[in-house]
Amino acid sequence: MEIRRVVGSLVCTQRIAELAHVDLRVLQDAAGRRVVATDPVGARPDDWVFVVSGSAARYAMGNPAILTDLTVGGVIDHWPPEAASEPSSPPHGTPRR
Amino acid sequence: MKICQVERPLVSTNRIPGFEHKHLLVVRDGSSLQVAVDAVGCVPGDWVICVGSSAAREAAGSKEYPSDLTIVGIIDRWPPDGTTPQAGP
Repeated sequence: MEIRRVVGSLVCTQRIAELAHVDLRVLQDAAGRRVVATDPVGARPDDWVFVVSGSAARYAMGNPAILTDLTVGGVIDHWPPEAASEPSSPPHGTPRR
Repeated sequence: MKICQVERPLVSTNRIPGFEHKHLLVVRDGSSLQVAVDAVGCVPGDWVICVGSSAAREAAGSKEYPSDLTIVGIIDRWPPDGTTPQAGP
């Protein structure tokens, strides 16, 4: 699984029946490349997520009949792990989650 | 199979139920970080071997398990003393 950041949602009305009504998210990797993933967990923009690729992506949707090759497996609670040491973070800031 | 080093556990509260309660670990493969399902019980710093594709699903427990990278073994000694010639038995 790889780690990606959510950029936003993707609206795609005209699609094949095998994509059903699943949510689509636009994700970005460290190099800025954009990819689209199906999202069964409801990730929001700026969330860091891990994605399942290949045939496992179809099982990750809970239904292998969904024709996807990239699925959000979950939202990462804290990422990057060094974020707590950023000098710009407020001393008593609480993460909005 | 890939040789990776375990970095740290990955905490994800909001995840798909298909992962059940198996541990997810952040592993380093060269310069890139990946997330793998732990099928053997390893700790940060361990060098491990990871399988991908459909073998990753079955190695994680079942053919329906949604993993594309599963840790299947802990390497006893790694790297294999790169500066010294390999000693025969």
